[in-house]
This record gives sequence, C-alpha cells and structure tokens, in this order.
Amino acid sequence: MAAERNPVSCYLDERTFRLCCQLFLQHSETIKDGWSWEQIKGTDEGFMKKTLLIPVKSSVLHEQPESSVQDEDMVTDNIQANVEDETAGVQAVCEIHAVLRYEYHVLYSFSYQIPVLYFRASALDGQPLSLEEVWRNVHLNYRQRLQQGPWDTLTQQEHPLLGQPFFMLHPCRTEEFMKPALDLAQAENKRVNYIVTWLSVVGPVIRLDVPLSYSTESDISLHYAAK
Amino acid sequence: MSDNAESPTETQKDDPSIQHAATEQTGASDEKKKIDVLLKAVGDAPIMKTKKWSVERGRTVQSLAQFISRFLKLEASEQLFIYVNQSFAPSPDQEVGVLFECFGSDGKLVLHYCKSQAWG
Repeated sequence: MAAERNPVSCYLDERTFRLCCQLFLQHSETIKDGWSWEQIKGTDEGFMKKTLLIPVKSSVLHEQPESSVQDEDMVTDNIQANVEDETAGVQAVCEIHAVLRYEYHVLYSFSYQIPVLYFRASALDGQPLSLEEVWRNVHLNYRQRLQQGPWDTLTQQEHPLLGQPFFMLHPCRTEEFMKPALDLAQAENKRVNYIVTWLSVVGPVIRLDVPLSYSTESDISLHYAAK
Repeated sequence: MSDNAESPTETQKDDPSIQHAATEQTGASDEKKKIDVLLKAVGDAPIMKTKKWSVERGRTVQSLAQFISRFLKLEASEQLFIYVNQSFAPSPDQEVGVLFECFGSDGKLVLHYCKSQAWG
C-alpha cells in the first residue's frame, strides 16, 4: 500500500452526491433499472427512489430442494426465489406465496456526510411489514453479522424528507466497506461513482441488486479526489 | 505461486467445487466448467495462503464468501466484503462465471476482499 498518499476520504459532499446520483440515474434510464429522482417541492432537496416487487416463498410448506437455487447450504425459513433468472434466461419454477413491495430511497445525510438507504416494505394489499418480517428478508449473507451487532443496524426511522415511517440501514459502518474500495480504485488510478460502489454493497442486504453494467459503464464515474 | 504446505483440508473437502488452481490450463475458457479466481486482500484483511482457486462457474458470490470466511476463520460477527473491478460489490447471488465473463482477464477473475471489524 502506498503509504505516502493521502487516504481517500469516505465522506461525500452533497454536490458530489447529486452528481453521482445524476450519472447513476442516466445509466438506470438506459437499462430501464427503474430509479427516479424525487424532488421535494419548494426545496432543492431530493432523493433517488426505486420500487421492487419481491416474490417470497415459505419453505415451511414445501421442503423439496429448488434445482434453480445454487446454494445447497442455504438453510432458511424464507427462501427468496427469482422468478426470472436474468443470467441464464431461464424461467425458474417456484411456488410463490406472497409478493412484497419494497420501496428504496437513497438520501444524503448531512450529519454523516454520506448517503443513507431508507426503505419501506409492505404486502401487495398495502399491509406494512413489521421489523421482524423485514429481518426475515435480510439476505442470509449478511443476516448473522447484522443480528450480532451491538446496536441496531436496521431500524425504524422517520424519513427525513417525507416524515413517514421507514426502515433504515444505519450508516455508521459505511467507512468499513467504502474505504477499501475507494483506496483500491485510487491505487489503480481508476474512477469511481461513490453511489454505485456504496449501493452495490448495501443494496443486496435488503434485496436490492445493482446490475453489473453500472460497474462497467465508463461514463458513470468521477475521478475521486483525495482530500 | 499457489503451492504451499498447509491446505485447508476440512474446508476444501466440503467444497469440491472450489479447488486449488494447480497449473495454468490451456484451452477454450468458455468450455471449462471452472474458472480461475485470484483472491487479493485489501486493507488489513488476512492474506490467504492460497490465492488462486478453481471455482465452478455456477458458484455464487455468497458461497465463495462463506468459503473464504471459513478459510480465514472469521468470527460470526465479522463480515466479508468482496469487490470486483476494484470498487464494485457483486450481489451475493451472482454467479462467479458471469463475473468472469464481465471482468475476467488473462484467464482469471481477480476478486478483492476485506473484512469488517469484529463487534466489541
């Protein structure tokens, strides 16, 4: 590691946040990824938003193994099955017992100086999910560690701009996963889009995947200047 | 480069789809069922004694992350983060074969990994 360089800051000023979002949204538009910018009327504040419908299957009723599920070791009482396997173009057959509606908001936090992911989740009939139900849908890859945390990583918060109850992934550990990625990019003299990197890490925790093309899109990145 | 004295015998036995990449294999890479992965530590992540692995294309990132975590003997409260293309975290459900198609070069897929601090 180049010890003489100034370490890249993990913090994001609001202007860079907006710029990264703008570039992110342009690519989203291109690939029809469903993100939009929501501006708060009468202010210059806004956030990125996306809604997903997530099929949920309960394995309590049917214990047979899914041939389309790659991970045999994955033991869960709530299997998320992809109805369409985008990579193989194969329609995976599965039993869908419910569809959940997840709405994700990417906001800028002035106090933390980083983006924060807010979301709300409900059944299709509008019935909001409880915190326990949301926990059951946290991706297994992260669930154990999040649950062992000494503080609440997943909390219910009032949305700073809308004033409605949302869930939030606490941003306190953002530096942990952003710093290595940003340092790496700097060492290789590569450009990054902070939002792309950040969302690619936090999104999948709560079932929000970021397509690979965000990473390969050359017009999406900025030179991330060391502070 | 990948030869070493100690092998992670018990973890390797559980994962026949992840093996040491002993030698460079020639031949059309798209016909191979396995791809070569090179694991690089970032930050203060422990360095794997064996960095080069042959992994089945269908293996997911989550599965590979679990393998690395066991290999490195991470605590339950430590999270492993994997990056491709330096600064992008692939979805845990993503297949390594797809990552190889997108980001592989010189016949291998380079993945960087780091870990979070343990709680407490």
